[in-house]
Amino acid sequence: MRPLNWLETQSEATFAYVLLAPAFLLLAVIAFYPLLRTFSFSLLADQTAAPTPFGEFIGFDNYVALLTGEALLPQQFLDPSFATPILQQALFVTLAFAILSVLFETLIGFGQAIVLDQDFYGRRWVRVAIIIPYAIPIVIQAMIFYLMFNPTVGFAADFMQSIGVFGSNPLTNATDSFIIVLVADIWKTSAFMALLILAGLQSIDRGLYDVARVSGASPWQQFKYITLPLIAPALLVAMLFRTMDAMRIYGLIDATAGCQTVPSMSCLVITALQNTRRWATASAVAFLTAVVIGVLVLLYLISLRDTEAGVT
Amino acid sequence: MASVTLQDITKQYEDVTAVDDMNLEIRDGEFITFVGPSGCGKSTTMETIAGLTLPTEGSISIGERDVTDLPPKDRGISMVFQNIALFPHMDVYENVSFGLRLRKYDQEEIDRRVDQAADIVQLEGMMDRMPKEMSGGQRQRVAIARAIVREPDVFLMDEPLANLDAELRVHMRTQLQRLHRELDTTIIYVTHDQAQAMTMSDRIVVINGGVLQQVAPPLECYNEPANRFVAGFIGSPAMNFLEGEVVDGGFESEYTNIDFDPGTHGVSPGQEITVGVRPEDVFLEEDSHKAASPTKAFDAVVDVLEPMGKEMNAYLLFDREVEASAEGRGKGQLLINLVPDTDIEEGDDIRIVMDRENIHLFDRASGDAITHSLE
Amino acid sequence: MSEKDQADLAAMEKTDEPDLDRGMVEAWAAKMISNPDRAYRATFYVATIFFLVTTLFPFYWLLMVALTPRNRLSSVGVLTPGGFNPGAFVEIFTTLPFHRYIFNSFLIAVVATVIVLFVASLAGYVFGRLRFRAKNVLLLSVLVTSFFPPAAFFVPLNRLFNRNIDILRPLMQDGSLYNTPYAIFIPLSALYLPLSIFILMTFYSQIPDGLEDAARVEGTTRLGALFRIIVPLSAPGVATAGVLTFITVYNEYFFSSLMTDGRPQSWAPMLEGILRFQGEFEVLFNLMAAASIVAVLPVAILVIVAQEKIVSGLTAGAVKE
Repeated sequence: MRPLNWLETQSEATFAYVLLAPAFLLLAVIAFYPLLRTFSFSLLADQTAAPTPFGEFIGFDNYVALLTGEALLPQQFLDPSFATPILQQALFVTLAFAILSVLFETLIGFGQAIVLDQDFYGRRWVRVAIIIPYAIPIVIQAMIFYLMFNPTVGFAADFMQSIGVFGSNPLTNATDSFIIVLVADIWKTSAFMALLILAGLQSIDRGLYDVARVSGASPWQQFKYITLPLIAPALLVAMLFRTMDAMRIYGLIDATAGCQTVPSMSCLVITALQNTRRWATASAVAFLTAVVIGVLVLLYLISLRDTEAGVT
Repeated sequence: MASVTLQDITKQYEDVTAVDDMNLEIRDGEFITFVGPSGCGKSTTMETIAGLTLPTEGSISIGERDVTDLPPKDRGISMVFQNIALFPHMDVYENVSFGLRLRKYDQEEIDRRVDQAADIVQLEGMMDRMPKEMSGGQRQRVAIARAIVREPDVFLMDEPLANLDAELRVHMRTQLQRLHRELDTTIIYVTHDQAQAMTMSDRIVVINGGVLQQVAPPLECYNEPANRFVAGFIGSPAMNFLEGEVVDGGFESEYTNIDFDPGTHGVSPGQEITVGVRPEDVFLEEDSHKAASPTKAFDAVVDVLEPMGKEMNAYLLFDREVEASAEGRGKGQLLINLVPDTDIEEGDDIRIVMDRENIHLFDRASGDAITHSLE
Repeated sequence: MSEKDQADLAAMEKTDEPDLDRGMVEAWAAKMISNPDRAYRATFYVATIFFLVTTLFPFYWLLMVALTPRNRLSSVGVLTPGGFNPGAFVEIFTTLPFHRYIFNSFLIAVVATVIVLFVASLAGYVFGRLRFRAKNVLLLSVLVTSFFPPAAFFVPLNRLFNRNIDILRPLMQDGSLYNTPYAIFIPLSALYLPLSIFILMTFYSQIPDGLEDAARVEGTTRLGALFRIIVPLSAPGVATAGVLTFITVYNEYFFSSLMTDGRPQSWAPMLEGILRFQGEFEVLFNLMAAASIVAVLPVAILVIVAQEKIVSGLTAGAVKE
């Protein structure tokens, strides 16, 4: 009990730092240190033929080459004319994917959470059913959709072609594949949103709804003035982490359509790392990805600050 | 049961001084009330006694023990909070016995004490209710039971009645006094409501802007306020203040003058002072026999009448030119307290006298009281 | 629906009354409109069924793939397997010690979840309830780690965990963490920490200060108040953070495959086992499907257990006011 008693009489700041120590110790070793290393790699030259992958120090040349479109990266097929720089293509794919997936996942997750928030017989089984997709490993999720849209195995490719939406082999067409990846992601990760929103809903005092009903609030007004403000903090955290995750999409693409068909920014990192051994360039792409995500996160934090539970 | 001593307590937040160099001796078994407007530092002071806030400077002892560096749990205190703060996931029994269970009392002792506490606050038969299922008054009684069950040396109450309706508040007020009598424990009570402070306490501690204004029994604070702030804060409706200057032979302001001998009352001509007179110490001229020592009569106009049942408040203007201020009592306005059946109408011209025995003088610059009687 | 609308509709219904030939759909619609509660109920059932079908269908189809013999994969139907071969569910345990892979992942996920919940509780308490100068900077630095694609950690972490560290020699045979469970749950705990910190921060910040003060006066330390009062009252948030962490760690592949040589006795994770069925010459889709269905079961059980916790938060009395 001695150390705990010592803690009791420390100032709020000291207490805060002591409690943060385990978290930051973990993060320092596993995250901050590797990131610093990777950053230092990104300032070195690529060496594709030599035994070590890194050459001499070249400052920010890798970043300049990427931003001007001169970097030597495996080209993708999104723009067959090769006119658009690869980074720009990847940025477009990544942003489009993040915005669309988070939008749909939020809406569907919200719907699922509202259903699960009701009291009904068999709720626990419905809850499990709705969460099950999230429990399926990405590799398997990818396999399901790969097989479904595989022209020889799956039924979905034929079906979508027959109603004129997809081409004959959707997994080699950039637009079709993008939609497949999007649907696969929404299928799996809506549950993430649903779980967090549900947790927010569950901690709302039910009495508030009675008060609202007595004062004549319509269901929509109850939603707008009670539900939404009270789950806003949980919702924003869910959307924040979903956005960051969506911006880093790689595994699902790699295992369905492939990085050549739907190039995301994380795809670029991996292809540069594995296919061309351009480790320094890959490190630079990783940091550029982080910068893009950082800008988006900033927008989120500003709105988080405006809610009560936020970062004040 | 124990005394509490605050020595040079200062609490500073980044750029605000919440409590400024406070020294206070609270006697064993005393019911003492910290009173002041919201944000005056009374709650912060109580939190430093509880150990929930660490003072920037100074020391606190409870009994003979210096508790400045002890966590709340080791200070021998218990506390009732403004928002009641029952643990919503525990039933009444678990709430009340929480502190005893933490201290690993044996089950028999816990049950005995919980029963006893429940008996005192009349909670028998409600032991397995959840806080959610109880009314505000019942929850408050659970909170009090939780506080008394540990038989603390000092009992802290932070606005415990603030969230109750008016009727319940009055009822709980007498309950708390009875409780104090039964337990015979030191009680420190925080409120912004001077009525609670007046009715319950042995002594009250008036605080403003983090600074101690006066520590005295309620009637002393009422009759002999240490400064203008205390005079205005204690007593309802609040004291009238007239600002003016000492002249040869008395006090003079824009609307009034009062005769007295400056020399015998510790003021000198030219000094800027404030005269304070309570509404109940002003009378109509025809009732001047009710004043122990009436002043000469002044002219006034009746602005607004407020019949209260057992009494009537009359808002007066010194003359018809005065414009009634929208914010409180302004210059040239006076509030007086009359018997309910007084025969006057709004708009009447009347003549009034003050009771010299209860006229207070305050130094305008410092606000300190100079005298509490002009006799 | 406004009251006026309802009145109008009620009036309409009255005039329609003599018309007995009203179609069934019409009658149903009128009933719904005149009784909004029933309409909500119906919407609710429709939504529930919609969500159940959309979430379960791909999973059901996965079962169809698993039941299809490997050489008949092209004849899997929409709702029926292309043959019937339940033997796949046995085969995954006979060709590989797949249960060992599941055990590895399960254990790693449990340990990582416990670590994450504990460490994130401390940090979430600090960020959600304490005030101090460096708070925003530190909070942002927690978040920054989630900006980076996992690959950004790849090279340095790979080197770190394959290095022989002298101080670890008494613990590990060769002084390296490679092929030990530590090498998996330590990095995974760190990488999934930020999400839990943020979830717990928002939930902890909403517990009224008075409850924490009351607990401390009653006899807990500050940490005691956290674990006895704040954590139980945030049960929905804690359970959610726990479930999300467990699922992500259980399914994690990128780092877990990095830290072991892939053999079950080297603490290789469940996914490594599933990927073994990709075979050298032929991808055994049916076995992969069967394996992944089996692998989902522990998660399903966990969700059933954890959801009781989420509900218990509800019955304990909500704290947001």
